[in-house]
Amino acid sequence: MDNAQIKEEKLMITLQSAFPDAEVAFMRKDEVSLTIDKEKVASVLLKAKNQLGYNYLSHLTCVDWMEQNEFELIYIIWSPTDKISLYVRTRIDREHPEMENTDMIWRQLNTYQREIREMFGVEFPGFVGDKDFILEDWEEMPPMRRDFDTLTYVDDTYFEREGREDARDVREAITKKSGEEIPDFAKKYSRQ
Amino acid sequence: MRSVINISIMNERNGQKIVEIIKNWSRKHSIFVMAYGTGCGAIEIPATMTSRYDAERLGIRGAATPRQADVLLITGYLSTKTLKRVIRVYEQMQDPKYVIGFGSCTINGGMYWDSYNTIKMLDKYMPVDVYINGCMPRPESVIEGFTELQRIIARGEGNGAAKYKENLEWYRANQKKVLKNWPLEEYNW
Repeated sequence: MDNAQIKEEKLMITLQSAFPDAEVAFMRKDEVSLTIDKEKVASVLLKAKNQLGYNYLSHLTCVDWMEQNEFELIYIIWSPTDKISLYVRTRIDREHPEMENTDMIWRQLNTYQREIREMFGVEFPGFVGDKDFILEDWEEMPPMRRDFDTLTYVDDTYFEREGREDARDVREAITKKSGEEIPDFAKKYSRQ
Repeated sequence: MRSVINISIMNERNGQKIVEIIKNWSRKHSIFVMAYGTGCGAIEIPATMTSRYDAERLGIRGAATPRQADVLLITGYLSTKTLKRVIRVYEQMQDPKYVIGFGSCTINGGMYWDSYNTIKMLDKYMPVDVYINGCMPRPESVIEGFTELQRIIARGEGNGAAKYKENLEWYRANQKKVLKNWPLEEYNW
């Protein structure tokens, strides 16, 4: 173990002994990750905030793992004394996405939870916040989900200006000039 | 005799009456721009207005409220949420009023061509007098756009407000296609 990684190692041991069923991992310098069931996220956050000094909430974000039918919620918290970012990760079901409301730990989580509710459709039962965050009158699927087809929605909703009549496909013009062939993977992007 | 008088008060260019020529001349030299930046393009406005490019030498200056403004600048991408406010502002502005579409996004969506919340063609939602292309247009382009608008005004062709009134139903239908819950009263001028 590198000398510079002693503080990360110390934190990992503390976390692992406090939460034996968590998966604690070293990510890179100044970054430690902790994966745990969704029921225990609040206790991890509380312990990190009140006992370990991780009192700064950087971010709460959501990742759509569509193939595994899961959402991953990531709470990123930071300690001003250790200068380590702790990534608290948890996976929740994608069909009925529900996560415990944690905005009493950091009030700022309220805003992040509103955003995630709107953009991914994750529900936080018992959480008080306006329904609309950025979007207005949105009736479709939450737009940040990966199975939301943006292009179809755009084609249905908006007008599209036609391009110039003399517009040429750059790729085709170049290949014609130099006598090369367009590779197969690029053919689907051409104008014809 | 009467026809002679009529001819004498008509100008040879574009059949504008002298009164209109004087009106348009003064209008084109006092363009008040609505201080409302809808997108990232608003960052070019301070550069245009301040001492280096000094747009006020052409009579272009800011106005605080819609009722004082002549020009509505749509600076950059226009999301559907902002479109609602922009329409509200446009309808509150006094006639004569002009719209300048600023940046690629107002023309064809620009880099937001496949974005789910950005409109792609501004002229489907309100009459646009001048488009300035570029991402971002530099202050030179902005001033060129404004001088083009001045030429349009001088020719007496800056009649976007009348066009809007005439084709209100068509514009409304387009607007309602994007804005699901229509928040405004139905106006009748």
